[in-house]
Amino acid sequence: MDQQDRIMDGDLQTLGLQSILKMLALSEKTGKLFVSSGPETLSISLRKGQIVGLHEEGVAQSDLLGMLCLVNKLDPPRAQMIREMAQGNMQMALAMLVERGWMSANEMQRCLEFAVTQSISHALRWVNGRFAFHRQIVPLETTMQPLNIDSVLLEALRQADEWEEIVGEGLTHLTRTTVARWLPEVSNDVRSLGLSQEYIEVLCLANGELPLQAVSLVLMTPEARVARIMVRLLELRLIEVVDTAMETELQQDLSNVIIKCQYTLAYQRHSSHPEQHLLGLITTLSECINGLLSHHGKFARSLRGRGQLPSAEIVRYLERRFAPSLQTLAKQHSILETATFAYGQLDCSDILTLNKVVKGEQLEEFYWEAVQGLAAFLRFVFTTLLTDEVGNSHTGRQLSVAWKVFLSEIDHEVQQYQVYRAHRHTQMARGRDTMQSSPVGLMQNLNGTPERDGGLRSPETQRRSI
Amino acid sequence: MPIAQPTVLVVDDSPTVRKIVQMTLQREHIRVITASDGLSALTSVADEMPALILLDIQLPRMDGYHICQIIRKNLQFRQIPIIMLSGKDGLFDKMRGKLAGSTEYLTKPFDSVELVQTVKKHLVNWQDRMPAQSEGMRPRLRYRG
Repeated sequence: MDQQDRIMDGDLQTLGLQSILKMLALSEKTGKLFVSSGPETLSISLRKGQIVGLHEEGVAQSDLLGMLCLVNKLDPPRAQMIREMAQGNMQMALAMLVERGWMSANEMQRCLEFAVTQSISHALRWVNGRFAFHRQIVPLETTMQPLNIDSVLLEALRQADEWEEIVGEGLTHLTRTTVARWLPEVSNDVRSLGLSQEYIEVLCLANGELPLQAVSLVLMTPEARVARIMVRLLELRLIEVVDTAMETELQQDLSNVIIKCQYTLAYQRHSSHPEQHLLGLITTLSECINGLLSHHGKFARSLRGRGQLPSAEIVRYLERRFAPSLQTLAKQHSILETATFAYGQLDCSDILTLNKVVKGEQLEEFYWEAVQGLAAFLRFVFTTLLTDEVGNSHTGRQLSVAWKVFLSEIDHEVQQYQVYRAHRHTQMARGRDTMQSSPVGLMQNLNGTPERDGGLRSPETQRRSI
Repeated sequence: MPIAQPTVLVVDDSPTVRKIVQMTLQREHIRVITASDGLSALTSVADEMPALILLDIQLPRMDGYHICQIIRKNLQFRQIPIIMLSGKDGLFDKMRGKLAGSTEYLTKPFDSVELVQTVKKHLVNWQDRMPAQSEGMRPRLRYRG
């Protein structure tokens, strides 16, 4: 854009949007005003000091036609037809609806006016940012009737005040980009809940895809009002808030932890010697616990959204959260007393190097106890972590299913060892009987021949091989 | 008109891997079907005609290389991209996978983001590869084991 065409520009801190718009209205300017703050940009088209168009960048455009279908104002086949023709242009879509008699011209004008007011109201709350007015960008003809800046500003300021009120009351942590979704427990007939039409409409639009701002637009209800309704619906446990980007990242990170642990488990599975098998399980379990702890250090509810935190704070949080449970478990499985927390990770090196201190059956017993203790701790860590991070959300439930599947693989390995243990005890009992009758049996048992060959094979397999 | 969804077949003996991959891809609006061994994988290929196959190498009854070769020899299915998923990351294993006809090779433990990127890369124009088929012309895969 030519430098000469830009007749006015500056900082929002010096001159607010309200003053700029008033100035342009009074001087009856024609052109385009660009206002930006962070990733968001608003471009307002003016003709002779009146608003004739507005475009918001940096905000995902919601499917207005789909939303009209959700509140029963439009048939899905008609919406699809218009959608294909309008190709994402909201003004064009609305004009087509009017052309076909599916919406009145008045309703369209109100909708467009509401969209403009809503965007300006949002921009009025920007503290930092830049603006620039270009006179040579003459706005194209639009379907919208020109809007008087004073009346738009009046309504936009009122809406902005409502938001400030909500924030001041500390009522909500919701923003205009907040997405909500129905909780699965909600029955199909919401009429039985005694909610007003307004509440039901917001509930219908809380489909996990539409941001609060889009819900507000389709219902033509100010964002602050929609936010208040959402707060009430949250209290009634009818909806939940979705932070899609965060949940995607969280799910990916946790999936990676599970996949890595599954790989370690599969890798260790090849060892047939019982001690090695148990050691492999201990390695898998401790790696998994540490993977989960690292993950929780990034996604714990009280740690996230606070930027880069000092690692000491994360370590303190993790230890405060999990060390007491480890100590409780150590009362049942005393071997866990040797496992300690270091830098927010569980240090199992004493258990893993037990072979330097004890050997034989005693070592195996220690390993077995460690497996049981660590498996219990792993379950506790995951349950605590999931409840804290995502609660009973859709993502939470999905991750819970994946986790149970992984636990079943660990359980299978543990069961295999239990079968082997039971078999060995039977063999030993038989050996004692034989020992009483035959001295040869005694020699065989002392050498431990059957186990050495059999390893972790099931009694059935061993029987077959004999 | 409903938008067609690509189907990805995940073949792995580990239920954890099957579930995680399913969860990851479903989030990207990709339909996922699974098989835990070679024979059921071949049945799924014939019945469902997936747009892509994620194939583990170490499988019960028939290994991933063998399955890959069978699919590549079949005229109906040879165009389906096959991504090998394996814990073996040696050059020899990758070469073997390539010789068997795999399109790409992902090493376990894989990263969810990398998995999605690789799958999406090979799902471009997936509809062009799908032959129009009627019920009567359902393709058959035979295994002479």
